[in-house]
Amino acid sequence: MLETSLASLELDNPVLSASGTFGSGWEGRQFSDLGHVGALVSKTVTLLPRPGNPPPRIWETPSGMLNSIGLENKGVDYFVRETLPKMRELAASGRKDGRHGPRIVINIGGESIDDFVALAERFCREGVHALEVNLSCPNVQEGKLLFSTDPRLAEQAVRAVKKVADVPVFAKLSPNVTDIVAIAKGAEQGGADGLTAINTLIGMAIDWRKRKTILGRGIGGLSGPAIKPVALRMVYQLAAAVRLPIIGVGGVRSADDVLDFVCAGAAAVQVGTAMFTDPALMVCIVDEIRDKLAAAGTTIGDLRGAAHRQAHQPSGSCAR
Amino acid sequence: MQTKVHKLLRRRDLGGGSYALEVEGPIPSTQPGQFYMLRTERCWPVQLPRPFSLYDRAPDGSWGSFLVKPVGEGTRALCDQQPGEGIVCTGPLGQPFPRDFADPVCIAGGVGLAPFLLLARQAKAQGRTLRLLFGGRTREMLSGIDDFAGLVRMHASTDDGSFGFRGRVTALLDDMLQKGEVKAGEIVFCCGPDPMMEAVAALCEPRGLRCFLSLETYMACGYGVCNGCTVRVQGPRFKGWPFSRTCMEGPVYEACELVHDAH
Repeated sequence: MLETSLASLELDNPVLSASGTFGSGWEGRQFSDLGHVGALVSKTVTLLPRPGNPPPRIWETPSGMLNSIGLENKGVDYFVRETLPKMRELAASGRKDGRHGPRIVINIGGESIDDFVALAERFCREGVHALEVNLSCPNVQEGKLLFSTDPRLAEQAVRAVKKVADVPVFAKLSPNVTDIVAIAKGAEQGGADGLTAINTLIGMAIDWRKRKTILGRGIGGLSGPAIKPVALRMVYQLAAAVRLPIIGVGGVRSADDVLDFVCAGAAAVQVGTAMFTDPALMVCIVDEIRDKLAAAGTTIGDLRGAAHRQAHQPSGSCAR
Repeated sequence: MQTKVHKLLRRRDLGGGSYALEVEGPIPSTQPGQFYMLRTERCWPVQLPRPFSLYDRAPDGSWGSFLVKPVGEGTRALCDQQPGEGIVCTGPLGQPFPRDFADPVCIAGGVGLAPFLLLARQAKAQGRTLRLLFGGRTREMLSGIDDFAGLVRMHASTDDGSFGFRGRVTALLDDMLQKGEVKAGEIVFCCGPDPMMEAVAALCEPRGLRCFLSLETYMACGYGVCNGCTVRVQGPRFKGWPFSRTCMEGPVYEACELVHDAH
């Protein structure tokens, strides 16, 4: 009843971890049976090790948090050797009773198209289930967000990855643009199999007493419930404009939040910052969705995009 | 490691604005210096849970307690809980104080007292009595000091001289070093505000005392997934990587492992 699909990738349910908020899943395995989530999305992997940004890297804000981790990771060689086997073990643990188990989605980050291609080739050789192309981390490239702010660059990056990838490729989009639809269309043109929306919103915190910014790098990405309305609006907008399946992400902390995203047109939904508050949350949400759909006498398929079929279409740029 | 709702049994006033929140077990076996992420089960007013050392634990784990001082919205919500209400505890997390040293000199400032009660009990059970240097602004601010009666050799300091040594706990340490009551070659375990721990390390290192600090770093997840609580580090333990997650490899670091950021 909860099955969904992202292009050719079939999932047991629409609940995924959001990249960068749940590691590889391994650290969270002691809190719940991760065999029951739809997919585990890795923290961004880059070709070479990246130490990340100077601390402090996080700061809680009303209904959200800022982070400026800076894609800290030990690079693809380390990841393939040390981390990927653990993700495979988690995936295998859920592959029973006719279930697919959690799919392994690797989020890749690059500073150039060549980086993306090399990472895609490597992970396809390793037999992962899908790739999520991080076009949009606000905490690198001196905040330039190259691939996520230029439709042509987004298209080129995705096309290059698609050329070498034999698994579905999802493009993760930034909300820090004037028109997310234009970037999405670039990714669609490039052959993306799906879109993940949204990454964090760029923000800042200042301590006036110290007369300086709180985060070591000054700016950071805002996540958490504070950004859910923005994410929901963008998913709605994308669902109206592109044919690709959309993975909604931003401020999800309950089954209701997931179903709101599904109504906006998402085929699957990622849980991020809320995993810091409750490390067992994803699995609870899966159970809760099942109960809520049963109580409402509906299915994920029926709900998907339902907000686009309401009698009074929302006004403004979102409406068709 | 687990995440569970524990019923609040009692909120014990420790004076100086701090409380011991005693929760119903089972509390897993926990080493001194390890911590839990806490939040209220209902009406948690902030997003992220807050890290606290386990303060005390029944030998059979039937209850445990956390030393909490209400300073912000999260800590206030925890201290406002009524007996019977739920506190969600995730833990035990992190690495404890090293266990290879039989007789460390313990130094605590304010709520940095928290990890030392379990350590003192552990030592006492093995027939040893630890030295504890504990500093606060006034006698009233030495929250929790009475819980250590008979467990440690207490050396208290107050800024106003209302109890024990007059001056900061770092001045007390300096005084004891000069008198030879604490000597080169000894091991120091320290927990308190960052400036105090830096001052303690600055006193110890040139005199040949190894110093282990339990950091109170701002955290998001507490279980190693967010990379938000990192501190800059050096030394063989980190294999050349410049950052360490306080929640995983810490919160206890040897002072010489920490590299101070300019920010």
